[in-house]
Parts: sequence; structure tokens; C-alpha cells
Amino acid sequence: MEIIRAENIIKEYRIPQKDPGLLGAVKALVRPRHLVKTAVNGVSFQIDRGEMVGYIGVNGAGKSTTIKMLTGILVPTGGRVTVLERDPHVNRVANAREIGVVFGQRSQLWWDLALIESLNMVARIYEVPPARYRALLDEFAETLDLKELLHVPIRNMSLGQKMRAELAATLIHEPQIVYLDEPTIGLDLLVKERIREFIRKQNREKQTTVILTTHDLGDIEELCERVMIIDDGKLIYDGPLATIKDRFGQFREITFDTAGSENHLNLPDGVELISNENRKLHLRFDRTVSSASKVAAHVMNQVDVLDFSLAEPDLSMIVKQIYRGALQREQEA
Amino acid sequence: MIGTLRRKISVYTAYAVMMPKMYLAYSIWVWMSFIVQAMALVIFVAFWKAVYAGQAAIGGLDLQGTLNYIILAQLFLPVVYTTGTIYFFGELVREGRVAVELLRPMDFQMAQYGAVVARILINLALQIPLALVAWLLFRFDLPTDLRIWGAFLVTMLLGNAMLFFFDWILGCVAFYSTEIWGLSVLRFGIATFFSGSLVPLVMMPDWLQAIANTLPFSHALYYPVSILSGITPLADVPGIWLVQAAYLLVFGLLSRWVFRVSVRRVTVQGG
Repeated sequence: MEIIRAENIIKEYRIPQKDPGLLGAVKALVRPRHLVKTAVNGVSFQIDRGEMVGYIGVNGAGKSTTIKMLTGILVPTGGRVTVLERDPHVNRVANAREIGVVFGQRSQLWWDLALIESLNMVARIYEVPPARYRALLDEFAETLDLKELLHVPIRNMSLGQKMRAELAATLIHEPQIVYLDEPTIGLDLLVKERIREFIRKQNREKQTTVILTTHDLGDIEELCERVMIIDDGKLIYDGPLATIKDRFGQFREITFDTAGSENHLNLPDGVELISNENRKLHLRFDRTVSSASKVAAHVMNQVDVLDFSLAEPDLSMIVKQIYRGALQREQEA
Repeated sequence: MIGTLRRKISVYTAYAVMMPKMYLAYSIWVWMSFIVQAMALVIFVAFWKAVYAGQAAIGGLDLQGTLNYIILAQLFLPVVYTTGTIYFFGELVREGRVAVELLRPMDFQMAQYGAVVARILINLALQIPLALVAWLLFRFDLPTDLRIWGAFLVTMLLGNAMLFFFDWILGCVAFYSTEIWGLSVLRFGIATFFSGSLVPLVMMPDWLQAIANTLPFSHALYYPVSILSGITPLADVPGIWLVQAAYLLVFGLLSRWVFRVSVRRVTVQGG
């Protein structure tokens, strides 16, 4: 069932232009100039209930702007956004009741107050029934490891603690849709894993729809089956993660643990040596030219192999290829 | 209907109550504020005593009447100064916090009004020690007639709501200008003078009084305090309320329209 629809949405910003120096500042005062920048340019998509969608792109590609239009904060310059059959800007309050948003760089919590005060407040604002609130608070305190933090002011928390607190505040009213804008920015691996598990659980148990923008492609690989890629304001890919890996995962990496050292390996076409140190032979091959079995057979003929492992195509590498125009080249071909 | 209204009041009250909690998070600020205001009060009293040297009355007010008014005006000054709406808008737009605030499922203006009222109440409560000090040092008078207190409270409430909507309209400039510091300073200067916190309006020439009466600041401070201190008789109160109610209606409607138009210009860069 479709719950989010973006139809050809456009967002333009007017950016003031000033010449450098004092004279430039005075000129701008007398005759202000503006540059119109199109942050989102004709983006369309639909998202169904319970989907977890990764929305990726380089800095300034238009990810956050799209999310802000979906939440109703920004008004599209053109096109139409419908969330749960409403215009999210016109029906801002009704829309806000059904959604939760985490901005990785902005907090919805009250900086000077203890976490429990903020959570109590959020529960009051969203009118969460007291018994349900207590149950969710217990659950979140457990899964997000917040028990020790409930009485700590937000300003005294570390980045990871703040993000866990932020997630609890975002999901305490059990929203139908959650927008996560760079939720794991700057966090260590353990905190990232805890947060990912929490999001997975919410999606699994409550059918929460999750739209995730991130620079951490690990988040996408761990959580999302569908990926949308935006570049320069345009949606350049919208489809399954598996397909993108399949289509653009041209290179794969294979690692051999060897019994001895062999410095003069004869490698077949399409295979490249990445490293050969401490009896670990690390190769990359072009799967349109060769295959894992061919590479393995070739190496085993020359070196005594104890073990080997094949790495899945790395999403970050794939995304880099797409940004460099791989998608366009493929379409032209 | 009543249940929904009760729920809404409960939600907005809960939001408003957060403000004093945040304010009181920094106790040093509370004490500093007390010291500065106590010093200001002493200076004002000394100033007016010097002004009255050799004069029995100015603008129809004797020294005790003026001191009474000035002390009360200083005690109720938070009504004019602690609204913080313009500054709040500047912060919202400049730091992109507007993104977070607009995501709360609440009427944004009503939530902020509740917050402003809460901030004013906590600031007024914090004036109690200052009031005790002022009473011990200068012995100001308070009315015993409950009708005067009632008229004072209603006038202050209406005047403050007027001022809130006025500040809201000014605050919306932030959506166009991003920076709002200059406007805040201008507002502070005009408010200080035209609210009657330094000089009772009756002492001003007619043309200046006319300007002061046009602006909302006098309605938030001068009129309520002048009722309390006896400068404005009870007979004048209904006329004042009528003017305040008319202003309130115009400012209220205008502020909602201005916000609806200007919020479309909001720009929040980055995550």
C-alpha cells in the first residue's frame, strides 16, 4: 500500500551573491543579487508501507531537501508531495503526528533538560497513552541501552548517547513513517550496530516505513532492500539494492591464505593484484572478464592455498562508479 | 469537544512548562539578573529624586507617585523584555532549528505563546525577591481595591498578547533576512522608551504619547502599571480594553497570515 508519493518535485533556493570585500558588501546592500539553485529537480517516486528505503547521494545532491519536503517543512517550488494522502505542508500538524524524523545534526530534545523530561514531553505532545508510554519507555531503555541516561541532561551526553536518545524520542509515539537523515554520522561501530538493530526491529514488528539518508553505505547494506540515488538534484537510480550490486558490482575481491610466498604470480586477464603480504594474497577481478572459480584455479596452480574468501561487491565502490557516470554510460550503451 | 479542548490545553501547558525548566537550568543567570535589576532600581530612584529636586510635581505626578510607578514598572518589566520572540525566530532560521520546531504536531504559534507566557510568569516570580528589597528600601504602595488588581491583570494579559502578536510579525522578517540582531536591538530600544519603563507616559508631550499609544509596548506595561499605581483611574479601563481588543484582533489575524506566507520561504540547508 502506497503511503508516500512524490510527483516531479522541484525545489529551488535563492542564494544571495556578494562580491568579496567591503565594497562587495555595500554593493549587495544597494543592489542585492541572487543565484537560483535547483536543489531537487523533477524527482518522482512512490514508497509503500513497511518499506525501508536508502536515499543516497553526495553532499548537496538534494537528499535532505527531499526529506524536508516530505516532512512538510519545505514547500516544493514545483510538483506535488503526498504523504498518507495529505499534502504534508498544508496539513503540517496532522502529518507531524504520523511521522518521526531524526536529523543527524539537529536535536529535537531539550538541550538543558534530562532525557526523561524530553521523553515525557514528547509523549505528552503526541498524546501517547500513559500505559503505552511506560511500556515503550521500558522497551527502548532496554534495546537502546538508555537506562543510565534517563536522568542525564542532553548537553552532557556523548554523540552516540545523543543519537540513541534522539531515536527513542522519535519513535516513542510509534510513527507510521520515520525519516532518518544521517542517523549514524560520527558514531562508532558498536553504537551504529545497536541503532541499526533497533531500526530493523521497529520495521519488523510495527511495519514502520523507514526512509534513510546516509553517507554510511553500511547503513544501507544492513537495512535497506531498495535504494534511491540522487545526484545533482535528479534521481538517477531507484531500485533494489541487489540489482544495483548486480549491475554495477563489476569488480569483486578475492583473498587467499597461502602456505608460502610467491612473488612472481602470473595473473589472467581482468585480474589485478591489490596486495601480497604476510602470506595473504589479495586480488581484484573484473567479473565481466573472469570468474571467481577461474581466478581461484589459476592461483592454486601456482601457489599452495590454505584457504580463500570472496568479498561481495562493495556498495561504496559501486556508488562511486555511478557518480562517475557508470549509469549514464550503461544507458547509452 | 470539552475532552479535546482539555487534552489540547494539557499538551500546550506541558510544552510551556518546559521553558521555566530550561531557564532555571542555569542558576547563575537568575542571580546575576537579580543583582543587575536591584542596581537598576536604586539608580532609577536616585535619578527621579534628582529630577524632582525643587519641584513638587511633574506632569501632574508628585515624587512619591512617580517613584511608585517607576518601581512597579521595573518589577513588571519582564512582561515587555522576556518575550524573546524576535530573537527566537532569528535563532530558528539562522541555525535551522525551524526544521525541528515545525515537526512538532502542535500549532506553532499557540505553542510559542504558551512558552512566552510561561517565561514571563517565571520571570515575574523571580522578581519577588526584588520586590521585597524594593519595599524594604523605598516602601512603594500597592492598591487594596480588588477591582484595581482585576483591571490590572486583564489589561496586562491583553497588552502582553498584543505584544506577542506584534513581535511575531517582526520575527517573521527572519525568513527573509536570516539575521535579526539589528531588529532585536531596535525593538529593545523602542520598547524601553515607549513602554513607559523609564518615564511615565503622562509626562511625555502629547505627540510622543500619541506614538506610544499606537505601539503595543505601552499596552503591555504602562497601562497595567499605571492602573496599579493609581495614575490611570478605573473609569478609563473599559476604553483601554476596547482599544486592546481591537489591536489584538488585527495583530492576531495579521500575524497568522504573515507567518503562513513567510514560512514558505524557509531554507534549511544540510541535515
